[in-house]
Amino acid sequence: MDAKDTLIFEKGNKNAQTNFIPKLDIDCEKLEDFIPKNLIRDEIRIPDIPEVEIVRHYVKLSKINYGVDSGLYPLGSCTMKYNPKINEFIARLAEFSQIHPLQEENEGALQLIHNISDMLGEITGMDGFTLQPAAGAHGELVGLLIMKKYFETKGVIKTKILVPDSAHGTNPASAKMAGFSIIELQSNKSGEVPLDHLEFAMKQGDVAGIMLTNPNTLGVFDRQIKEITKIVHKYGGLCYYDGANLNPMLGTCRPKDMGFDIVHLNLHKTFSTPHGGGGPGSGPVGVINELIQFLPIPCISSTDKGVICNYDNIQSIGRIKAFWGNFGVILRAYIYILSIGAEGLRRVGQIAVLNANYLRTKLQKKYNLPYNRICQHEFVLSDKDMPNEINTEDIAKRILDYGYYAPTIYFPLIVNGALMIEPTETESKNSLDNFIEIMDKIYYEALNKPEKLKKAPLNTPIGRLDAVNAARNPILHD
Amino acid sequence: MDFVPHDDKTITEMLKVIGVNKIEDLFIDIPKDLFINGLNLPEGLSEPDVLKKLKELGKKNTIYTNSFLGAGCYFHYIPSLVDFVISRSEFYTSYTPYQAEASQGYLQAIYEYQSVISRLTQMDVANASMYDGSTALAEAAIMASIITRKNQVIIIEGVHPEYIDVVKTYCWGQDIALKIVSVDKLEDKLSEEIAAVLFQSPNFFGDIEDVSALAKTIKIQAPNCLIIQSMTDPTCLGILKPPGETDVDIFVAEGQSFGINPSFGGPGLGIFAVKDKFLRKIPGRLVGKTKEINGEREGFLLTLQAREQHIRREKASSNICTNQALCSLSALIYIVSLGRTGLREIATQNFQKAQYVKNKLREIPGYEILNTKPTYNEFIVKCPDIDSLIQECKSLDLLPPLPLSKYYSDMRDIALVCVTESNSRDSIEKFIKASELASNKQKEGRA
Repeated sequence: MDAKDTLIFEKGNKNAQTNFIPKLDIDCEKLEDFIPKNLIRDEIRIPDIPEVEIVRHYVKLSKINYGVDSGLYPLGSCTMKYNPKINEFIARLAEFSQIHPLQEENEGALQLIHNISDMLGEITGMDGFTLQPAAGAHGELVGLLIMKKYFETKGVIKTKILVPDSAHGTNPASAKMAGFSIIELQSNKSGEVPLDHLEFAMKQGDVAGIMLTNPNTLGVFDRQIKEITKIVHKYGGLCYYDGANLNPMLGTCRPKDMGFDIVHLNLHKTFSTPHGGGGPGSGPVGVINELIQFLPIPCISSTDKGVICNYDNIQSIGRIKAFWGNFGVILRAYIYILSIGAEGLRRVGQIAVLNANYLRTKLQKKYNLPYNRICQHEFVLSDKDMPNEINTEDIAKRILDYGYYAPTIYFPLIVNGALMIEPTETESKNSLDNFIEIMDKIYYEALNKPEKLKKAPLNTPIGRLDAVNAARNPILHD
Repeated sequence: MDFVPHDDKTITEMLKVIGVNKIEDLFIDIPKDLFINGLNLPEGLSEPDVLKKLKELGKKNTIYTNSFLGAGCYFHYIPSLVDFVISRSEFYTSYTPYQAEASQGYLQAIYEYQSVISRLTQMDVANASMYDGSTALAEAAIMASIITRKNQVIIIEGVHPEYIDVVKTYCWGQDIALKIVSVDKLEDKLSEEIAAVLFQSPNFFGDIEDVSALAKTIKIQAPNCLIIQSMTDPTCLGILKPPGETDVDIFVAEGQSFGINPSFGGPGLGIFAVKDKFLRKIPGRLVGKTKEINGEREGFLLTLQAREQHIRREKASSNICTNQALCSLSALIYIVSLGRTGLREIATQNFQKAQYVKNKLREIPGYEILNTKPTYNEFIVKCPDIDSLIQECKSLDLLPPLPLSKYYSDMRDIALVCVTESNSRDSIEKFIKASELASNKQKEGRA
């Protein structure tokens, strides 16, 4: 493949006809009589392309792209589970896809949002939810704005947020967007939050709270979680739960019981909605009773007269997105929860942990495992003991050669040369065994044919790309 | 149905490999008192039962044959190949293309999306998309504040009211002061302290602004302030002068009109494009084209990632992680399916049909078109009796226009009407009839 001659713009054809616009069936005015000439555009540099060329072009592109339906997608902290097809089918029904956000007869849609809010409340223990946020990071921003409003309302000045060094990059970035500065907490040797450091930081008096992922990005469940949240509360702080890693906890334990006040979930991770190549997602936020007043508007609640929405909550942080959130995504997650049910959700969490530990046990025989203990949904390997200076990127690229997607690499930052692996519950043992076999092969190649790894990938449509030059001389469109 | 492929025997085998006796042993780190005794949720349902349940719920949403409602979400015809392409599961079940070599298909599609947006808007650079139009506008305001190191932002009246609310929330988060002013009072408010002026054109009421003239006025008084244009239905770019040919610095739009179903207002698509000099401050993903390290072939990859949160953490230009990739793919397929001829034709039809309805309404007693500037596919009309108009529309199976009182308590009896290419002559005649009936009813009421 070579980009030079395959862009869609090359498929133009002067005689191509557009087939997608109805015949104009009314009397026409002259455009220029109504819109001044200087407001009208000249040419549009987008060619007319025959339909068949467009379809072939994108089918061809789809064939050089890897999805969950192609095979194991072990991207850590991303929970790349199977996306059930019934979700796709229902989301396309007119009664869901052809409704306008401002139409009055929308009871079904509001009811659905209300129902899933209740379900997520049961799953996390939280007392109230908003389904407005469009993604996990957007949910984080909402959660942090709620913290900001909470302290503003109390008339207390708190300007800092604690974020462990194992946190997702979005955590500090979201805290900053809500106007906080960040104090990074160093994890201890077992990958957990050191209580003495935490207490020291909280004692300073200007800390609004902590953002935590539990299990964290090492796949480690923080054993002292209750002590952590207790310390933060003791000094008047709030505890924020980054729900990116909720999957293993489903039906087993709940963020609220751990002591969290605010959580965000990623419906595109835990609740099976497609990642779409990087969106659209959905990042609902749940809070404890005391914080419900701060949720974004509109708030949906249920009364004797049915489901209603409230726009006038003066304590609310305000609106954070036009309309109702990513309804099409919310809908798919709702279908998933209905399909899976209570017992199924617990099993989802359990098997996710089983699969991760099975892989961990097998892979740590050859690869370095810096935090050597039972993991939850994911675990992190390192390139530390690799022979012949083979590094994480080499391993990742060679995995592509064998027809799989690579794990998350060089994250979390606290592990040098990290390979973060999350198989999810929807992978069969057979699929895991195949992956293990490939990882073993790669290890032997590192030992015996290291040059092969250095040059990898060799079997993909294109070789390793020059990222340095791409950033130095950006070419971002044709 | 839990979509878990294991049987009991496999589970036992796997536990043995791990070296534990039962699955519960894997949760050893969790304090005992945190375990819950099951969830209070219904048992799982089979596919046909789920479908039945959802169809029942769906019945409570009314579907109309034709719509005269827009206001930030539009009914345009979507070519069949859009859904065909985005249904390819190699696309929709993939994730952010971190591994370029296994994601060339999507990377190229995003690169093509950036290209069509930049061609359509004539802006120098488009990113891989934002969540939606409203958050794109808010991020643009913040970006301007970062670039100019100023913390005052002006919004010109006529921006979608929900967008204004979103900008307010984001600005409050970063202690940026926000002023909303009418276009004729703008000059009094401009100063060196302003980070950005935000406006929408065509605006919420349908008015097409003379963007070049407006931008010039702003630049004279506040040369360092950034000019940010927002748009809710960018199909108008088929006929209207693109922002890139004016002094607009950042252009944002809601891209739902480009092949994305209304779906109760989400997911949509945040289009975000800037002039070259702001490239390194742009939020969100960017896909670039480059060569192989050890070869001559060209390919695509995520680039300029040093701006982003996963590298820069709290120093990033935004916290945004994912974009709306699948929606940008819809937009790409939509735009290339129409091509230059189709884009021009669809914009022309939207304009023509709205103009036609405007003219017809003028002939009915009691209706007054309130726009004094040219309009695209939306306009505002004072109605003799807006409640009856809404009722008459519904009884003719038309989704009624928006009563502006929803957002502006002082704008009673004013409707925001939207007419697109998907409104056939037949539906337009029905709407005219509904408007006449409402007019007659009002007269009867008075008599």
